[in-house]
Amino acid sequence: MRSRRAVISLLEKEWLELVSARAFWVLLVAMGPLVGVSFISAAHTYAEVSGLNGTAAGVGEALSPLIGVWAPTFSACELAAVFLLPFVAIRMVAGDRQSGALRLELQQAMSPLTRIAAKALILLAGWGLAMLIPLSAVLLWKLNGGTVYLPEIAATVAGHVLNAGLAIALAAAMASLTEHPSTAAILTLTFTTGTWIVDFFAAVRGGWWERAAAYTPTAMVAEFQHGLVRLDAVLATLALIVTGLGVAAIWMRLGVTVGRRVWESAAMCAMGAALVMACTLSSASRDLSENRGNSFSRADEQALRAIQTQLRIEVHLAQEDPRRADLEHHALQKLRRVMPRVEIQYVAASSIGLFEQNTARYGEIWYELGGRKEMSRVTTEEGVLETIYTVAGVTPGAENREEVFRGHPMATEPRYSGFIFYLLWPALLVGSKWMLERGGSQ
Amino acid sequence: MLFEVRGMSKRFGAITALADVSFHVRAGEVLGLIGPNGAGKSTLFECLACVLPADSGTVTGAAERWRMLFYLPDGIAPWPAQTVEWALDFTLGFFGGRAELRQKVIGQLDLSGILQQTMGTLSKGQRKRALLGIGLLTPQPALLIDEPFDGLDLRQAREVQTALRWHAERGRTLFLSIHQISDAARLCDRFVLLSSGRVCGEGTAAELAAMAAARDSSKVLGDLEEVFLALT
Repeated sequence: MRSRRAVISLLEKEWLELVSARAFWVLLVAMGPLVGVSFISAAHTYAEVSGLNGTAAGVGEALSPLIGVWAPTFSACELAAVFLLPFVAIRMVAGDRQSGALRLELQQAMSPLTRIAAKALILLAGWGLAMLIPLSAVLLWKLNGGTVYLPEIAATVAGHVLNAGLAIALAAAMASLTEHPSTAAILTLTFTTGTWIVDFFAAVRGGWWERAAAYTPTAMVAEFQHGLVRLDAVLATLALIVTGLGVAAIWMRLGVTVGRRVWESAAMCAMGAALVMACTLSSASRDLSENRGNSFSRADEQALRAIQTQLRIEVHLAQEDPRRADLEHHALQKLRRVMPRVEIQYVAASSIGLFEQNTARYGEIWYELGGRKEMSRVTTEEGVLETIYTVAGVTPGAENREEVFRGHPMATEPRYSGFIFYLLWPALLVGSKWMLERGGSQ
Repeated sequence: MLFEVRGMSKRFGAITALADVSFHVRAGEVLGLIGPNGAGKSTLFECLACVLPADSGTVTGAAERWRMLFYLPDGIAPWPAQTVEWALDFTLGFFGGRAELRQKVIGQLDLSGILQQTMGTLSKGQRKRALLGIGLLTPQPALLIDEPFDGLDLRQAREVQTALRWHAERGRTLFLSIHQISDAARLCDRFVLLSSGRVCGEGTAAELAAMAAARDSSKVLGDLEEVFLALT
């Protein structure tokens, strides 16, 4: 009973600390124009593609609101999670240490993990408030006659909540580790740019870099923004969040020698790494996009699932060859989801492939199944599927024409967007902060 | 006896902050930790409250220290955006403090006029009184206060002394780190004299005077300040 009261008091305290932090209000106010710029430009392009001002109407994937509007609109959240949210989290964690509140609060027998979890929970609630701004864009789109497919919006929101959790855990760990908030901010941004370097090396080198890059926050958010929810990415992100908060809890404690904290942190990181590795073994995923952009057609998926023998694919394309990216994104990523046991091997002597063009086998894609082999140079979805069916001796069922995504053209731009995102939201937030401060001082 | 400290030591690199410190604390007493600046008083309190890890030493009689004692550091300004009233209520909710004492403490420390002020806007003396209010509302039987009179004027210091004595008379053990010996002499039942991280004496004013006289019988020791100088 007493500990429950203590937890409630702590949550209330963290909430008050959050809403009294100017950094948090700066984040909220900045979100309005950030989301506004992304939404307005995305909606304008979408309208043009849909036939606004007499332009040619697009078709299919191009007119999926998820790809055309929500991915760019919600990308404002990614910017905020990288460049604004960590400062709010650092302020929340480091503020207690700097003011001396931590020295009082840690004399309550509550575990440091509970304390840091309470902070993380409140920060996530604050992030939930910030997410209302892009969600208001969804409402505006709907009110203006746009189509909204809730599962894909939910996937996008979930991706950004997970990303925010990661940013909070990382910032909390850094704020606990370091004596000064500015050091924590530098370390947090260094870590984030470090993950971008992993993405860059993955694009150039492939191999292990490519595998690691699949779990960077950028990659994780990109998949969610395309409506793909991968269990391994979700679990790995949760494992990283727990590890970050664990490290923060270790360094938040007082009265423990630095040596012991270092050992405990090393053990926590090792455990986190093992957990992430274990999570990568999971291959379950769900395509929540309305256009099924991450999946083959249902008829193709059924035909592929019926193939029991292991399929081997050998791709003779260099890492930076655009055909390889094409093959990966349009065919192999989808194939891995349907056939988790598929073995894909890339063979190349260099990363750019420029001087391999004349090599005998360069550009060839070999498919081997049950002793039969087929070669193709086609990197499109249709070409890959056709070769697999040939080598497997399978004929897929007819595609249900009604299931084909036809797109949701919308040739009008949502009205009052500029007013809402550039003026109304910031004014509402500044007004709320003023009211809160006025209420506090009376 | 509430608890006993034995052989507590703490070093910061080459500097010895505490060297084999031993003394005991009796239930319900006002114990003064007296020493000049840099004697190791705050370090001793922080080691006792587990805010700093001690290199060696034991505290017997206090199996779970957080249940036994609460430490109120000097020079902190917690929760700067929250009001004094909120800080007192948070103490009651978070630490499971003594709700029945809330109004009494507000009156004793003259906090009613600053209840709606945020902690960050308080003057040094006001903040000290607010912090003392927080400390006095905590539930632990022993309260360690670092420099309880720092920042207070003469009248406020006297009022705080009266308040502390009131709480001690009702069973609260107070262990106060004080560098103004005159203040300590007025309030404390017993004293621990600390100099350069070492305990130079422990006992009542009379016991310490006797100890000092035994060392140097040529001096006439009129008050605690002279006793302190003789023993350190």
